[in-house]
Amino acid sequence: MSKPHAILIGAGFTGCATAYDLALRGFDVTVLERGDLAAGTSGRTHGLLHSGARYCVTDQESAVECIDESRILARIAAQCIEFNGGLFIALDDSDLAFVDRFVEGAQTCHIPIEQISPRKALEMEPAINPGVLDAYWVPDGTFDPLRLALAFAASAKASGAVFKLYCQVEAMLADGQGNLNGVRYWDRTTGQHHELRGDIVVSATGAWAGELAELAGAHVPVRPTPGVMVAFASRFVERAINRLNKPGDGDIVLPQRRMVVVGTTSFEAEDVDYIPVSEEQVAEMVKRGADLIPALATAPQRGAYMASRPLVGSGTQARSIARTFKCFDHKESDGIDGFVTITGGKATTCRAMAEATADMVCRKLGVSAACQTRERPLRSYREFYRAGEGARA
Amino acid sequence: MSVQTRSPSRAAQWLNFPHRGVGMWAFAMNRLSALGLAVYLFLHLFLLRQLAEGPSAFDRFISLVRSPLFTLSEWVVVVGGLYHGLNGVRVILTSLGVAVPYQRQMFWILFGIAALGSLAFAIRMFTA
Amino acid sequence: MTAEVWTVTFRVFRRKGAEAPHYDFFRLEVSPDEYVLDAIERIWAFHDRSLVYRYACHHATCGACGMRVNSVEKLTCITTIRSVARDGGEVTVEPLRNFPVISDLTVDMGDLYRSMEAVHYPAVSPVAAAPLPTIPAKDGISPGGPLREEPDAHRLNDCIECGLCVSACPIATTTAGYLGPAVLAAIQFQGISGKPALAGLADCEDGVWRCHSAYECTAVCPSLVDPGWRIMDLRKQAIGRRFRRLFGRGETA
Ligand SMILES: Cc1cc2nc3c(=O)[nH]c(=O)nc-3n(C[C@H](O)[C@H](O)[C@H](O)COP(=O)(O)OP(=O)(O)OC[C@H]3O[C@@H](n4cnc5c(N)ncnc54)[C@H](O)[C@@H]3O)c2cc1C
Ligand code: SF4
Repeated sequence: MSKPHAILIGAGFTGCATAYDLALRGFDVTVLERGDLAAGTSGRTHGLLHSGARYCVTDQESAVECIDESRILARIAAQCIEFNGGLFIALDDSDLAFVDRFVEGAQTCHIPIEQISPRKALEMEPAINPGVLDAYWVPDGTFDPLRLALAFAASAKASGAVFKLYCQVEAMLADGQGNLNGVRYWDRTTGQHHELRGDIVVSATGAWAGELAELAGAHVPVRPTPGVMVAFASRFVERAINRLNKPGDGDIVLPQRRMVVVGTTSFEAEDVDYIPVSEEQVAEMVKRGADLIPALATAPQRGAYMASRPLVGSGTQARSIARTFKCFDHKESDGIDGFVTITGGKATTCRAMAEATADMVCRKLGVSAACQTRERPLRSYREFYRAGEGARA
Repeated sequence: MSVQTRSPSRAAQWLNFPHRGVGMWAFAMNRLSALGLAVYLFLHLFLLRQLAEGPSAFDRFISLVRSPLFTLSEWVVVVGGLYHGLNGVRVILTSLGVAVPYQRQMFWILFGIAALGSLAFAIRMFTA
Repeated sequence: MTAEVWTVTFRVFRRKGAEAPHYDFFRLEVSPDEYVLDAIERIWAFHDRSLVYRYACHHATCGACGMRVNSVEKLTCITTIRSVARDGGEVTVEPLRNFPVISDLTVDMGDLYRSMEAVHYPAVSPVAAAPLPTIPAKDGISPGGPLREEPDAHRLNDCIECGLCVSACPIATTTAGYLGPAVLAAIQFQGISGKPALAGLADCEDGVWRCHSAYECTAVCPSLVDPGWRIMDLRKQAIGRRFRRLFGRGETA
């Protein structure tokens, strides 16, 4: 039997990691992405390699996924990660009241944390709020978003996956029974439209998963919840600085290259193709960021930007929706075979999302092959651009 | 909304230095003066050859070099030589890793010296 | 907050497949403090879905959104409209030069990435191994590093492989074989002593000696890499190495 052909839609973290996993399991993989690599949410993510500590009280399932996956990524994607740990700092009584639950949660989720005296914390990070009352070290890191996606994509390519960038999926193609067996796409670099047939269509389109599902007449309950981030032109800290409390707005400051980035907010949006950056939100980020690092109040800004989370579910409070991912077999949910959607999750958990998706695809197509993405380091991200391929990387 | 236009040619791209920094101006002027000096060298050899063609040619030559236009051209050669030589000092120094962060300031100082020198030559050559 | 609104015409380079290139004009209402990339994104979202352009991080850490704005290379995600236009004016946006154009504003960066790989430029280094050179502050970017350097801390290196320097370089325009500022800077970052392969690449016709000191690379580099200075430093290293070899004290590696 010839190799099964999987058509993957979306080249964000999830799409690239899934392409890699499926290619290693012996699939022919074609990835269609309407922009360049990581042109959706992935490229614009905050960049925190989550230890899970942030969720260890409010969402322990996510927290456990994060600590497991951040360890794996630190091992396989070290090429694009600043792995310097992070601090959770308590600044007021409400923070102090949260400490017990935080410590207990971290224990439950087996996240190694370490209490640090305020004096030691200030010694480690002189730029943080001198009013720090309590501090904990956690194994956080920072990643370079584009390069993380490139590393997965380069590894996928090395195993034979084909990436078609600037190719937007416009329609799903079905066989006589209403099951998917291909897609029609628009190559935006040439203006031409093409059809592509495959054994399975996998949508890894994050916040756009609902739109893509609609093309097939299926339904995915994904709610795009954007957030704003502000970058500052100075590297004030070496570690991720988190507010020791329930997840809230502007409560993380990350170091990255010569910068720090403050994030983020959370609200709901209808049109995710263009979400303006509001000045109010930027001002709010500066204010919240300055609670953690006072110098941010006056530091020169480097940029402000917006990205849209693909949150799955239909809860009321965006922040309280679980951040774990969900894999939909549309045969079960909509009676449409040949179509799988993976959405939700986080950058930190993209490899696990890929593994779960590839497991589902294998089950559906009767392929028995085990996941091989946990141990081996990813190829150099630069190998995505391979010699002799011409302009269409 | 859409308008048909031609994309700039490669040569035109090379000449887009008006938008650029001091270093690019220094580089472009260096190239220009080099071209000028090279052309001058050939002209020079060509004219000197006339000296070997007898007394009448010699007289023609002398009257030519006394013309104000010729003096002006000579002055242009001096300006080009001064600029090219002095900027050459800057290029050599920076190539040895000396004062690279100050290449801009160095350009303005050497450019100033070249300008002053050119002025001095102008006074000397046109007021004699 | 009273938002200032400008009307700016964006003159955008277009090319699809084998078609002849042309420019399209888009008149937009913008806030002068928005970034050029925001405007381009709006052109795509609301005016022309066929516009092809590359970007990812929106805060100058990935290097994907390099373009020529009014003939000068810019990372469009951090270039405010105020800095390149005026109310009622026009802004020209073109792809980087010295790279093949894939379509519209996107170029193929493959050559640069492959060369950076060939010289083993690390993407992450210990903070101590990636000292921040003492060069004058530019565009409000602090030249200083962390307020206190942590010995074990790592950071993503400065060069974001955006290719602005390659596009700005007048030599790269005329000499395809030239290694170019980013790659030479990547070699200098690692040093050539004891590294004959790197030394060989740098100290040759298409290496440091091809540079003609226009310093445009340094002028456009958005990440304070200062390739111009690094090329000159590499020349110094290359001369030193030649001298040592002349006196029989070359490297043994
Ligand atoms: C503000 C914010 C901060 C965050 N911070 C963090 C963090 O610090 N750490 C962390 O781990 N996670 C973080 N996340 C979460 C993380 O960024 C996302 O979960 C992740 O990027 C989602 O990746 P994805 O591949 O699923 O989706 P995307 O990256 O959005 O990929 C979907 C792709 O599908 C493409 N597409 C859409 N429609 C079509 C079509 N018709 N045809 C072809 N292609 C199409 C899009 O162009 C896009 O590239 C953050 C998210 C947000 C919003
Ligand atoms: S040296 Fe600077 S301009 Fe050149 S690719 Fe690197 S970051 Fe970009």
